[in-house]
Amino acid sequence: MSRVQLEIFLGSILIAVTGFILLYVGFNEEKRMEEFVRYQAAQKIEVGAQLFEINCRGCHGLRGEGIPGLAPPLNDAHFFQARIAEVGWQGGLEDYIIATVSTGRQVSTRPDLYPGAGSPAMPTWSDEFGGPLRKDQIETLAAFILNWEATATGDVELVQIPSSEPSAEELADPVARGLLLYNQSGCAGCHAIEGISVGAVGPNLTTVGDTAATRIEGYSAEEYLRESIVNPLAYLVEGYDDLMLKNFADTVSDAELDDLVAFLLAQR
Amino acid sequence: MLKSLNFSELFKNAKTAIDNRVRIITAGLSIIELRALLRGDPPTEKPNPRYKVHVTSFMFHIRPKFYQQASTIFTHTWRLGFFTVFFLALEIVTGLILMIFYTPTPAEAYNSILSLTSNIPFGKLMRDLHRLGAEGMVIFSVLHMLRTFLTGSYKKERSFTWLTGVVLLLVTLGLSFTGYLLPWDQLAYWAVTIGTSMAEAAPLFGNEINLLLRGAPDIGAGGLLRFYLLHIVLLPGIVVWMLSIHYYKVAREHSISLPAKYDREDLPKEITKKAKQRLDLLPDLLTHEVFLTTVGLFITILLTAFFYEAPLENIANPQQTPLDTKAPWYFWWLQGMLKMGDKTLMGIILPTIIFGILFAVPYIDRNPHREAHKRPLAIAIGLLATLTLVVLSYMGLPEYGIETPAAARIIQDLAPEEGLGELRAIPYDQLQPGVYEVNVTDAENMCPDLLWGCPILESVFVEYSDRVNEAAEEGKLPDAEAVLVIEEWQADLTKVTPRIIWSDGESGDRKSYEQHIFLHRDHDRDH
Repeated sequence: MSRVQLEIFLGSILIAVTGFILLYVGFNEEKRMEEFVRYQAAQKIEVGAQLFEINCRGCHGLRGEGIPGLAPPLNDAHFFQARIAEVGWQGGLEDYIIATVSTGRQVSTRPDLYPGAGSPAMPTWSDEFGGPLRKDQIETLAAFILNWEATATGDVELVQIPSSEPSAEELADPVARGLLLYNQSGCAGCHAIEGISVGAVGPNLTTVGDTAATRIEGYSAEEYLRESIVNPLAYLVEGYDDLMLKNFADTVSDAELDDLVAFLLAQR
Repeated sequence: MLKSLNFSELFKNAKTAIDNRVRIITAGLSIIELRALLRGDPPTEKPNPRYKVHVTSFMFHIRPKFYQQASTIFTHTWRLGFFTVFFLALEIVTGLILMIFYTPTPAEAYNSILSLTSNIPFGKLMRDLHRLGAEGMVIFSVLHMLRTFLTGSYKKERSFTWLTGVVLLLVTLGLSFTGYLLPWDQLAYWAVTIGTSMAEAAPLFGNEINLLLRGAPDIGAGGLLRFYLLHIVLLPGIVVWMLSIHYYKVAREHSISLPAKYDREDLPKEITKKAKQRLDLLPDLLTHEVFLTTVGLFITILLTAFFYEAPLENIANPQQTPLDTKAPWYFWWLQGMLKMGDKTLMGIILPTIIFGILFAVPYIDRNPHREAHKRPLAIAIGLLATLTLVVLSYMGLPEYGIETPAAARIIQDLAPEEGLGELRAIPYDQLQPGVYEVNVTDAENMCPDLLWGCPILESVFVEYSDRVNEAAEEGKLPDAEAVLVIEEWQADLTKVTPRIIWSDGESGDRKSYEQHIFLHRDHDRDH
């Protein structure tokens, strides 16, 4: 067999084998594409979960359980079964979520229960309307929120373990416990502290440990802060409306209130 | 009437007619000649019809009539130049197909790639082939250059061929780099942001060059379109132009160099004669090329079908810089150089000098000898340069020379912001909810509820524990406490929180670092 003949022979075999590989790939394409559809949907939910934690938990709660007196839950049966009928929305739930997140909400639809974070009740999130998020990011948020359906309607029961955040008992430092409360109780939704939260409805608290001492004559910083949490109307900061929860102090224990005050005092 | 039909005459006429058509299509080869060609028989007509095609056919007039036998020895050329062109052809074919499904806008580019993998039959294969082919083209063109250098084949009349070759290498790198941005994912966006920011450091016109490339101060819609057009029009145009010159010089003017040992004058005549024996294009060279093509196709398709996957990270986010931004591997050497000095010197001036020297190699090296032992200095410099390139590339890795705080490094290695990482490779079912504390939780039998346990979760946890303890011993994380918290977050969605708490060396404060990683059940692929 000459070299030319050998090469023709081997080349023909290789072409046949390559053809079989392509055929094999072709037969599996349908299945593979389906797998990628699921995979990409999964990725969307994962990305949405990250975004929710950064942007939404301040008002809607860590697990979308809502914060009474601030923002509604997104993980309950009402949201999945009755919400769009309640507001008279024409489209589907996904459209509703994307539209609401994109444009925000000027006025709350349930002002008694969830008055929101002032005016607007919910800020706009889409960069089309001056918000910080791109369209694709809002779509991932919607995918994540929709994924609560199975647990909201009771189809799936989650295994509950103690929260991933260090629990208040574990933390020896009252300031650290206060930070936890600050994040979990909705304070972060309205107030800003550099490096911790970005709320813009209430006064900025970045240096409140210092300023609280000089606010009202005769009040120490600690007394002023405690008073302001228990009775927000006592000394309203100029330029801000009366929006803070009146009954917040009732929802936390005295020890927790101490922690929160200690945390705020440390902001200086 | 039947009598008037002369069948033999009819057959003869038909045969002549068919033969004539075949000769027109094959530029002069008859059917019988074609058969002889494929069987490896000698030419059937005189004068040799196999040389006629070089005059009558455009495609064949740019091909060599013959190469000398010794110049085609496999261990002389290693077929590196051939495979570089093979990859170029692969890039053109797959690239044209990919163009059908690609939209060069920031809003659509990433979606194009997603739908390519999830919605278009063979779409993923095409993309993987295109990506693999790009890397192959870079590897083979560099190796081809190295081979040409080591065999001294760039000397004398082949100087200009070398020069066009260096241009082709530059354009190949340019093609890879511009193509890198097109998927519009985090990896691409930040690698290209860093790459183009080097242009900014160029003296005098830096800012203008940067603006011209990016179309705006930051890479956006304008930059993407510019890179796309560079990738599909300008750079391929230059490749075709330069390759025409490069190849024509080899094929029609100087041929492939003979191995240097045949240059010696004292060789016996028979050996020289045998070395210079002609191998005609038809059938020897062409069959060999077709054969190599089938080998190339087989290997690339085998790799892409079963082993190789073009990476795709999250969609580009100008607001978020990943912790480790990494250039494509063929630019690691540049990244390594950048770590040693300032941008203008290391990023612009030195690379310009390096490529300047590469261009000028045949004009600097005036030594007429080609045999390795007669040009020790050149060989030494060549090998030293190759070694330097490898070392510089190593220095370009994010692991080298960049100090990341220990806790961030450990958690980033466990679950990189971009890419897979060990944590994401754990099968979903093994992510059993719980709080796993380093040095407290027993790393054996972490999931008593699972029939087969969770060996992969356990091995990842052991690795995590070891890294934390190691850093604690080195004094980077004094009094470290570390946990791995796994929670069910939604149906089919799990949240994993690695958290490290340690005492700060100076103030003694307790510091903490953590990442939240969400994993969906359908994230598992090919496990």
